[in-house]
Amino acid sequence: MLDTVKNISRSILRERQADGVLGLTRQKSTTLEEGMDIIQPHVFADPGELDDLVIEPKWLFAKLAMTILRSSPESYRLAVICRGCDERAVIELIKRNQIEKDRIATVGIACSQEQASVCLCQRPYPEKLDAGVAAEGVDPFQDGQIRELLMGDDGTRMEKWAKLLKRCIKCYGCRNSCPICVCIPCKLEDEVWVDTGSIPAGMIPYHLIRAFHLSDTCVACGACQEACPVHIPLLALQLSMREILRKNFGYEAGIDPERKSPVLFDFSQEPSPERELPAWIDSLKAKI
Amino acid sequence: MNDDFVRTICPYCGTGCGLIMKVRNGKVVGTYPDREHPVSHGTLCIKGWCAHEFIHHPDRLTSPLIRKGDSFEEISWEEAIALAAGRLTEIARIHGGDAIGGLCSAKCTNEENYLFQKLIRMAFKTNNVDHCARLCHAPTAAGLARTTGSGAMTNSISDLAGAECILIIGSNAAESHPVIMGEIYRAADRGATVIVIDPRETAVAQNAHLHLRINPGTDIPLLSGMMRHIVDTGLLNTRFIEERTEGFPELKTYLESWPVEKVAAECGIEGTLIKKVAEIYAKAKDAAIVYCMGITQHACGTANVFAISNLALLCGHVGKEFSGIYPLRGQNNVQGSCDVGGLPNVYPGYQSVSDPKVQDKFQQAWGRELSAKPGLTVTEMIGAAGKNIRAMYIMAENPAISDPDVNHALESLGKLDFLIVQDIFLTETARFAHLILPATCFAEKTGTYTNTERRFQLLRKVIDPPGQAKGDFEILCLLANALGLNFPYTHPGEVMEEIALLVPAYGGIRFDRLERAGLQWPCPDVHHPGTRFLHKDRFTRGRGLFIIPEYTPPCERPDEDYPFYLGTGRMFAHYHTGTMTRRSPFLNREQEEPYAEIHPDDASRMAVKDGDRIRITTRRGSIVTAARVSSKVSRGCIFAPFHFTEARANILTNPVLDPISKIPEFKVCAAKMEKVTNEGEGR
Ligand code: SF4
Ligand code: SF4
Ligand code: SF4
Repeated sequence: MLDTVKNISRSILRERQADGVLGLTRQKSTTLEEGMDIIQPHVFADPGELDDLVIEPKWLFAKLAMTILRSSPESYRLAVICRGCDERAVIELIKRNQIEKDRIATVGIACSQEQASVCLCQRPYPEKLDAGVAAEGVDPFQDGQIRELLMGDDGTRMEKWAKLLKRCIKCYGCRNSCPICVCIPCKLEDEVWVDTGSIPAGMIPYHLIRAFHLSDTCVACGACQEACPVHIPLLALQLSMREILRKNFGYEAGIDPERKSPVLFDFSQEPSPERELPAWIDSLKAKI
Repeated sequence: MNDDFVRTICPYCGTGCGLIMKVRNGKVVGTYPDREHPVSHGTLCIKGWCAHEFIHHPDRLTSPLIRKGDSFEEISWEEAIALAAGRLTEIARIHGGDAIGGLCSAKCTNEENYLFQKLIRMAFKTNNVDHCARLCHAPTAAGLARTTGSGAMTNSISDLAGAECILIIGSNAAESHPVIMGEIYRAADRGATVIVIDPRETAVAQNAHLHLRINPGTDIPLLSGMMRHIVDTGLLNTRFIEERTEGFPELKTYLESWPVEKVAAECGIEGTLIKKVAEIYAKAKDAAIVYCMGITQHACGTANVFAISNLALLCGHVGKEFSGIYPLRGQNNVQGSCDVGGLPNVYPGYQSVSDPKVQDKFQQAWGRELSAKPGLTVTEMIGAAGKNIRAMYIMAENPAISDPDVNHALESLGKLDFLIVQDIFLTETARFAHLILPATCFAEKTGTYTNTERRFQLLRKVIDPPGQAKGDFEILCLLANALGLNFPYTHPGEVMEEIALLVPAYGGIRFDRLERAGLQWPCPDVHHPGTRFLHKDRFTRGRGLFIIPEYTPPCERPDEDYPFYLGTGRMFAHYHTGTMTRRSPFLNREQEEPYAEIHPDDASRMAVKDGDRIRITTRRGSIVTAARVSSKVSRGCIFAPFHFTEARANILTNPVLDPISKIPEFKVCAAKMEKVTNEGEGR
């Protein structure tokens, strides 16, 4: 699989389909000790460098790709090694006019079954799959922790979430690492909503604004939760909203580049038989 | 031009998180968390995420500057080095080498600090070298060294996640060491009990299972009361005490003076709570004690550390994984700057300057006669400035904001015959300098930092320094050579090899071995994998020693004239003296103005509303700042962050020192407070 990815990337560079390939590089350590190699992101510009390309561990590139393209000349084109969620993020960024479609190409790789169960991923593969065999999707709603977080009456859920969100150290890591959390200016930097100078960040003004802003565009990559130093299970907030869109509108962010979000774009024309909101939303009624 | 990514280490706190810096056209344009980092695992706090923001700030110093009256003029490096060497030599000739003082820096690398202390000791035959470690964990170094033989965190950050009970004393890790806080939550998620002992209702306390809100400065009574209860109920680890420790009978006798009822009264909390917490800690299979400035920044700081050490020894919660004693070191490299000899009483590796064998060893290695007399500490040097101390060389430290009773410190700095400040910005301290040397920030140099868990980590050069600024490493070599010493180093790796030769515990540290994940000392040889936890089977000093923690209540207690307790500390978006964070736009927007927290009851009694201007006064001086009304502080207490130059909390603090470690009592003094109605009368 790795060889396939290297070969595809080489030909992309040789045939000048892109000026660089964004992925992970493994730099050999100068010591002879085992396990001392360094792994980090890299823009491969020369086919020769690609010997050092690796695809593990999970590392997401969509947002990085966006910043690279933004600061490069318009003629610059980039290829990105993409897992399923990363490809979905690239597609969302294109749909939201953050990346120009013809400046980006993806090399799609499948995730392992193991990775899929770590991520609780429903689609552990990209639509354009170039290397590897697609693993089976995992149903996150069967997971014990997720069930526990989303089950129970208003009061219980409120208590659970208030306790978890109270840990927040306001690092902005969830926002910074989310591939599609890209608004300028950001509402979370608006003092009308989010207080400055103290922690934790407020549940409604910070966390729920963020969650709602991403409700129809979250690709369930888990980047927010993985960047959270205090282990708040942020993805659980997103999953239930994704599920509602899937059930009610048959819509999933990042799958179909042509289809706009039913919430933002064409609400009236989307089929919306029995509209339903995630159960935790009525938690808002409770006082905090 | 292509984007480039460079792995390096966060320049802020002692957690030592991994950063990936994004570079474009010679500029650092972004910071990302390193998912492969052994401590931070792809997470960062707000400061880490913003680490690139101050690097290209227009205020960066780009040329050596010489004082001309009240302003500064640019001079060349040749002139600057010649002037520095000439003046220092002259002053040492007239007043003796002990008239020179040097402050190295917990912000600089191990190699730079090593060279700095070597330069001062060799060139002037004095041990007057110290740094801000004095102001944070000097009691830890002194205290744990006596009780266990090693003044460092016993275990690794990742060990916290496996503990069954975590006792956090005087640490607001959620704001000051956020990524370590994450490990504590990991433990809590696995069922551990988290207990916080702190007079303030900090973010950590708000997330704990139990919070013991003790009166400021009553840690020794509390810990003694807990120990007394553990002894009384037979929960002590008799086998561990017999096999691995000494001094227990004396401690046991001492504990008789602390019945729980008396402790409860002294600390202002319920006796049953003290007993409960003691039992949870003692009964846990593995238990950790995390502590920070709330323990050390007292006139009985070292005794506080003794008390913590006693508690851990009493229950045998040390010398094994998932337990231990965790002093959270403040600065990114404060562990390292102490390790490599940035202290007045020891050479690198805590080898005593007054031990003739050690003196011999270093004299031979360095080829110069060295002084056997311990030097002065930071506070002593500044106190003696203009008197016994005639010239100072300050590398990347900012005592004009960080020292206690700072007005007095400023006055002293102004009396020096010659002051060299080497820094990246024109700091409040640099304003007093005769000569300013522009140095490099973390992104412009190679070297090593040692984090709070004794991990040597590689700092990589990301970009070139601005203008004519030079790396501290190069400046030190230039100055040393101009002073007639021979510093032939071309790369910091060579300095590390020299350190490894002189300090057995770092014998196996080599730059190329640090590439991936660093190494935790002790690491005696080049095949040694490093040490995850200390004191396994045997304490560094042999047996663990119980030392009686003599209780001295805070030197200033509230009285009629000064009815409030005042404590200082940090807040989450800023770092120490603010030179870097206040120049980082995203951090600065989070908190632009100085403030002090006061309790709602006190506020309403004085008709102060949130945001009103208040004047806080102590016996040393006064500041005007904004009130933040919050029940995080107890009634009768004030908390003031010390980051802000326009309202320097350290104008207020009490310079009274802990007799053993010489740390000042930053955490408690008596203050009064009034509402400022006419803004003009401020400042
Ligand atoms: S979320 Fe899915 S696609 Fe993304 S890394 Fe995990 S398994 Fe792979
Ligand atoms: S990543 Fe976690 S701690 Fe940081 S802002 Fe988001 S929720 Fe808060
Ligand atoms: S926790 Fe400390 S080392 Fe980690 S990112 Fe924050 S300031 Fe930097």
